[in-house]
Amino acid sequence: MRTRGAGLLIGVVFGVMLSWSGMTAPDVIRGALLFEHGYLFLFMASSMLVATAGSWLVRRAGARALFTGQPVSWVRDRPERRHVVGALIFGLGWGVADACPGPIATQLGQGIAWGLWTLAGVVIGVTLYLRRQQVETEPATDPATATDPARHPLQPASG
Amino acid sequence: MLHTQLAWYIAGPVMGLCVVACRLLFNARLGVTGGFSEIIGKVMARSLNFDWRGWFLIGVVLGGTVFALAAGGPDFHGYGWLTRHISDTALIAPILVVAGVAIGYGAKLSGGCTSGNGLSGNATLSPASMVATATFFLTAIAVSFIIKALV
Repeated sequence: MRTRGAGLLIGVVFGVMLSWSGMTAPDVIRGALLFEHGYLFLFMASSMLVATAGSWLVRRAGARALFTGQPVSWVRDRPERRHVVGALIFGLGWGVADACPGPIATQLGQGIAWGLWTLAGVVIGVTLYLRRQQVETEPATDPATATDPARHPLQPASG
Repeated sequence: MLHTQLAWYIAGPVMGLCVVACRLLFNARLGVTGGFSEIIGKVMARSLNFDWRGWFLIGVVLGGTVFALAAGGPDFHGYGWLTRHISDTALIAPILVVAGVAIGYGAKLSGGCTSGNGLSGNATLSPASMVATATFFLTAIAVSFIIKALV
């Protein structure tokens, strides 16, 4: 219950910031991708800087995660083919719709009707991926695949 | 955009702190696609018992609502270049659906979207996230310039 409340609260802050920074508007994203204004890049860079500094400070301090009790740590993945191919597919969609999953969610919250189509597409895309994963991890037929650690990342993929 | 944009040096760092908060509370990555995946996966298994990642996504949606209520309406009308340049609106919906499929599938395949790889993954200095971030930014930039040349 507490973990869900905390997730919800962080989400609300994240959603308000995404909206207030203008990232919900496709023309703002498009203007940045066409290098017409630098806001998105400064926004993204400052966010990455704080996220990186904060994460490393927390780990360096030896902090334990409040809800799990485990020491803060992470696995750094080596780049694989799927990271490049997936990001290419993602970038194509992003460049056309001028929205990524965060803005698609805030468009929904703001009541932007056009965003429902993009949202429907995201639901279909994620469902397709999860179905494919289920088929691939079916252990009865292919034990070699089922025990391949690369296909079973310990940390759930998120985005 | 209809409303005043919050300064990047406030909006950016606050979002960075959200990433740090997820580390400190859950020892996990913050990611919007992770939220979509959690909700869709649970619904596929006929459950509504979402974990914090699902509730995070619900929070992001509510954040959009909070903003629209405070600002007195949504941040834009129409839908960018699509409603400006495509007169036949019946074409726009399928374009957005296909783009959405690419966004959802691509983000899952590459292990995250702009938040999961771009913010959280890069914050751990994960080489995979850096490669993914560079790839999707360059692809989206190229697509935008191609569309600009075509319409």
